[in-house]
Amino acid sequence: MSTVVAPLETGDLGTRPAPRYRFLRELVRKKIAMVAIVLITIFYLAGILAPWVSTSDPNYQRLTIEERLDTPSSEHWFGTDAAGRDLYSRVVYSARTTLIFTLVVILTGSLVLGLSLGLLAGYRGGYIDTAIMRVGEVLSGVPTLLLMLAISAAFRTRLNDVAFWLKDNTFLGDDARAVVPFLIIVGAALPFAWIGSARIVRSQVLAIREQEYILAAETIGASTTRLLIRHVFPGVLPIFLVGISASMAGIAGGEIALSYLGLGVDPSTPSFGTLLGNAGGVRTFQEYPHMLLVSGIPIILFFFSWNLLGDALVDIVEPRTYRR
Amino acid sequence: MSQGLAGYVIRRLLWTVPVIIAISILVFLLLRLAPQDPIDSLLGQRYDEEIAERLRQKYGYDRPLHIQYLKYVQNLFQGDLGVSTKHGDFSVAEVIIPKIRVSAGMGIMAIVLVFGLGIPVGVYAALVRGSFLDPLIIGFWLLIDSIPVFVSAVVAPWLFALQLGWVDLTYEGVLHPNIILPVFVMSLPGVAGVARLMRASVIQVSNEEYVRTARAKGLRERTVVVSHVVRNALLPMITAIGLSLPGLFAGSLFVELLFGIPGIARESLQAVLGFDFDVVLGLVLFGSVLFVLANILIDIAYGFIDPRIRITAARGG
Repeated sequence: MSTVVAPLETGDLGTRPAPRYRFLRELVRKKIAMVAIVLITIFYLAGILAPWVSTSDPNYQRLTIEERLDTPSSEHWFGTDAAGRDLYSRVVYSARTTLIFTLVVILTGSLVLGLSLGLLAGYRGGYIDTAIMRVGEVLSGVPTLLLMLAISAAFRTRLNDVAFWLKDNTFLGDDARAVVPFLIIVGAALPFAWIGSARIVRSQVLAIREQEYILAAETIGASTTRLLIRHVFPGVLPIFLVGISASMAGIAGGEIALSYLGLGVDPSTPSFGTLLGNAGGVRTFQEYPHMLLVSGIPIILFFFSWNLLGDALVDIVEPRTYRR
Repeated sequence: MSQGLAGYVIRRLLWTVPVIIAISILVFLLLRLAPQDPIDSLLGQRYDEEIAERLRQKYGYDRPLHIQYLKYVQNLFQGDLGVSTKHGDFSVAEVIIPKIRVSAGMGIMAIVLVFGLGIPVGVYAALVRGSFLDPLIIGFWLLIDSIPVFVSAVVAPWLFALQLGWVDLTYEGVLHPNIILPVFVMSLPGVAGVARLMRASVIQVSNEEYVRTARAKGLRERTVVVSHVVRNALLPMITAIGLSLPGLFAGSLFVELLFGIPGIARESLQAVLGFDFDVVLGLVLFGSVLFVLANILIDIAYGFIDPRIRITAARGG
């Protein structure tokens, strides 16, 4: 591992745009990335606006023979499931579940935990660094899904007690029943959510720490906190975003996998995991293909968009592998 | 210099001991402090307070936690991973080893397939970069990567077994042709990652001076690509292959569930759901130790292949 010392830039410093703007401009120029961003935006807008864009209550059951397992029609755009629930509305509300889950995990895990631990490890070095990175290394070596299952299963048995307590003692009311399992899966995802971003941030900090402007700031007596926030963080930001977009599909997938197995969100909360779980096996697919398709295609497009965006962002941050 | 490497490996090993102990304590507490235990799930509907008490005594679950943990560690050092309450007191090793065999058999095929496809795809994408083919190829594999296994493990059998009738869906052992479909379903999503890594590596190596030298001295393009570019670009694949080794033994949960394969991932799920203490703990420890060993193996492999890295590694870089 050689240290590359960047030559001091001289000349028209005033007219050169900041690296952050260059990053944005390069992004706009990439068509595939823009398509991916549009798809992601549609997905997230559907989630945010779920109560307004849905055509029915996602949990309203129509238990008549005509309305159960109905194929897509003008009334039920995506058809209905075995309980006669409108699948279009359930898909829209599932997007909301995915939105909230990814947002919470990214904010708490990748952003707060990952960024601060990565900055700390990279900037302080020594024992703190070794400890943080080794814990991360072994945590990433534990079979993730197995441990998430164990955490989720261990806390679920007390679920009802906690939910009722919350219902009686907090402002949550009837939402408590949905909130508690949600918090459990967030808790199950957090131990793994910080590792990737902490690693990226740390390696960036190691590279940036040696730059002249950090030395200059140190010399004029900037505090560590100020140094990290004002000078190191902006330099880390682009590659940090790349890391987040690359890990997005994995984070969303964790909730979907747990919900599929019945260990994720509350069964009354629509989730792509429960939707796909209800769509069943090969025989069910043979009989009622719409159930798998209407929930499978949106989630495939969601994962695909994040993967494409991540790929495009890597090209921007790593110009040496540019597609020209 | 090799002494430096040995020292480095020993230091790494020493660091992992406390972390693995910490993980074992965490998982141990997680399972023991849950308000449910194996006896609850074992007795289920036929729960009888007296029988439950006797069973808890038999397995030692009535003792204080720290005693239980120390007893577990003591047994562990004698090579005893404990017993499975769910599988009528078979030892953990007896329960998990046959299932690990099944998963590992599929895992080996999957690794061969992932790298056998991913490396050529990545090289090709790198060679045609600049044309529309590069984003098309990578995009195609990213799309495959985006299909959740529990979708492909339903649609693929429907297409190939029910519609086309090419394969049968029954599980007949790892060496039976029926295993081909599940292996493909579990491997194909991994191709994109390997292809992207290989592509980036080939492009990076193409910019090296020695590649320009090789071209300048008039070597045929084929020779330059095969023996100068691709050979060196394979270096990062060591990490990728090394890191995928622990996964060999983990199995693919949804493939095993949906294809009815008696592998270790399915056993893990059942163990977690049945609070089969010793099996879960054994699996987590097994996975963690494998991961640590794989990482150390990667470092050693690099040390042998690239002497430049050996020096940095010896300095503890």
